[in-house]
Amino acid sequence: MANIVELSVVPPPLPQGWTPPAASGKSISPLVERKLLPAGQAYLAHVRRAVHKLTFEEHDK
Amino acid sequence: MSQPNGSAEAPIEVSAIPTVVGINFGNSYASIAVLTKEGTAECIANEDGERQIACAIAFQGEELYIGNQAKHQLVKNSQNTITGFRNLLGKKFSEIPANALSVSAPVIQHPEIADEPAYKVKVLQASPSPLPTTASNTPAASKTATPRSEPVQVDRVLTVSEVTTIFLKSLIKSAEDFLGKKVQGAVITVPGWFEQAQKDALEKAANDADITVLQLLEEAGAAAVTTTSGPVPEGLSADRTQLVVDLGASALSLYLLSIRQGLAFSLATLSDHSIGGDAIDDKLIKHFAKEFTKKTKVPLTVCPASDPQDKRAEAKLRLALEHTKRTISASPGAATCSVESLKDGFDFTGTITRLRFDMEVRPIYDSVYKKVGELVSAAGLDLYDVDEIVYVGGSASLPGLDEALSQGFPENIVTPFTQGTVVGGGVGDPTTILARGCALQAKILAQLGEGTEEEREVKASFTHGHQYTQSKATSKTIGLLFPEEGAENALGGQWIPVLLRETPVPARRIVAFNVDLGEGEEKKVGFEVWEAKEGVKIEKVKLPKLEGEEEEEEEEEEEEEVKEKTVEKETLLTSLSFAAQHATKKGGRWTTRLEVTAIVGEDGALEVSAVEVGASGRGEKNVVTVPAA
Ligand SMILES: Nc1ncnc2c1ncn2[C@@H]1O[C@H](COP(=O)(O)OP(=O)(O)OP(=O)(O)O)[C@@H](O)[C@H]1O
Ligand SMILES: [Mg+2]
Repeated sequence: MANIVELSVVPPPLPQGWTPPAASGKSISPLVERKLLPAGQAYLAHVRRAVHKLTFEEHDK
Repeated sequence: MSQPNGSAEAPIEVSAIPTVVGINFGNSYASIAVLTKEGTAECIANEDGERQIACAIAFQGEELYIGNQAKHQLVKNSQNTITGFRNLLGKKFSEIPANALSVSAPVIQHPEIADEPAYKVKVLQASPSPLPTTASNTPAASKTATPRSEPVQVDRVLTVSEVTTIFLKSLIKSAEDFLGKKVQGAVITVPGWFEQAQKDALEKAANDADITVLQLLEEAGAAAVTTTSGPVPEGLSADRTQLVVDLGASALSLYLLSIRQGLAFSLATLSDHSIGGDAIDDKLIKHFAKEFTKKTKVPLTVCPASDPQDKRAEAKLRLALEHTKRTISASPGAATCSVESLKDGFDFTGTITRLRFDMEVRPIYDSVYKKVGELVSAAGLDLYDVDEIVYVGGSASLPGLDEALSQGFPENIVTPFTQGTVVGGGVGDPTTILARGCALQAKILAQLGEGTEEEREVKASFTHGHQYTQSKATSKTIGLLFPEEGAENALGGQWIPVLLRETPVPARRIVAFNVDLGEGEEKKVGFEVWEAKEGVKIEKVKLPKLEGEEEEEEEEEEEEEVKEKTVEKETLLTSLSFAAQHATKKGGRWTTRLEVTAIVGEDGALEVSAVEVGASGRGEKNVVTVPAA
């Protein structure tokens, strides 16, 4: 099940004449290597998605 | 001290609840947790009503004592009492330091097995004939002289593994007595610093006790399971940085965990074997010994004690302090420490207030604080980056520790003490948190299928060092910036962090919120996607003088360090903009509800999509992607 986080912030209206900046062409910063604790439902879901090669949406079902 | 057995209701026949247990196996104490009907886990008490069961076994005559009763044998029967065996599992005799504290039966070289640590105790064997004459049960010299009907005293040699098996068996028996059923499997804690040989030895000892070990779970993992099962505590988010402070008897272990919607990994760990309940005891023993001498004029030298009488007095005080410390933890009032015939026939009763207690123990609190600082800086973070403190271990039940640590953290730091969940066996109770986590983990594992190749692979992923534990994680926080006319902050608008740094990938986050679209009919939605630079700003601020304060000249200007978390725009990735289709007008202003999804793939590719969610349904999905490097 998708976990939707409810936020209480309300972004204000856009400034007059704002135009969306073009994509910078940059990627996100390099990923780092980490070692997960093999524990809990979230780890199980993480592994299940990987083993069954599911996208998040497919796994939601 | 302990509540009677049976306050956790035994699960009735509900097939959905597997008969599994969680065992926290410390070097000093163990605890057992079972699953409840409600889907939570609770610690149970053994036959003696103990929830914290001392890891001790003692032989006295024909009797075998296990748990706190065995611990009490340390005063008069220490040579036949075995403690501290967990930490020796998987060790060779030659690896054990010769000066290892031996308040109990000394560790010896096993008479037959090369380089194997063992204990030799004296036991009375009920029936002398036929005497089991395995070589390790060498009959004592007195054998021939003893009439055949009398039990004879023999030496019994036990390996560390055998001791562990006896102990674990008794834990499982307590659980089975409670549940009225055979235990099908157990998850058992191991310290983070346990090496593979130690884990193997523990697993073997458990198997020898007929226990099906579902997993040996690192203590940090057990804590993470407990704290991420159930609702997210007030004031916290499912994505947070958690500091686990485990203060046991003989060690302090610290873990800085990145918790990301229940997925946890360690950012830094540290352990110190000079800080713990034993060190706290040393301070208090000295304090009470001084008081005893003051009252009785009987000299008493302790910590260390060399005189046998003093040693015994010290052992007695150490046992009595268990009660004193628990009282201090449980209530704000004063606590007593009573020992019958402490020395030279004099009884002793001392009283200590929490204030005095914390004063005596302050150096230990301070060392914990210092170590916490080292841990957090080793991770390249600041105390202000920590959102939550979780306490583990008996000594972490002391409120004075939380008070001492909280000083350096932000005011809104969430701890089980601020949440009021420590006392009365609440969810934050440090003495039960690991066993409960293990029970919850056991439930997950017991429900895994094994029918298909994939299912077996999923199951295997819970073994130590499995490839699925290797993961990549983001290194910068990714968020949405909603630009604002004349914004007051440096960011130039409303910042909404979506995917925090240190989030394992693949990751997905979905946030939902309302957007103010103004009064015009344009109804344009737009935001930029940035990677942020996060930090902590430290400023020295002069303390404002209290009104009516005099003698301004004389007083030194007081300065205080004020810390603040900072966020700056670092890298623009992309942006997204569209005209709202599902906005509603209220009081002359348009608003729409937005659901934004951000997904980072295993390769680092980012996809951000936004959907309007109106009363009439969901709008079109607007998607932008940022390819992987
Ligand atoms: N309520 C309490 N308040 C204060 N101290 C307590 C409390 N309960 C237990 N302790 C102390 O906590 C210590 C035991 O902690 P814990 O059970 O976490 O140890 P452990 O993990 O088995 O030990 P070790 O650190 O040696 O591996 C003992 O020193 C005990 O006296
Ligand atoms: Mg411990």
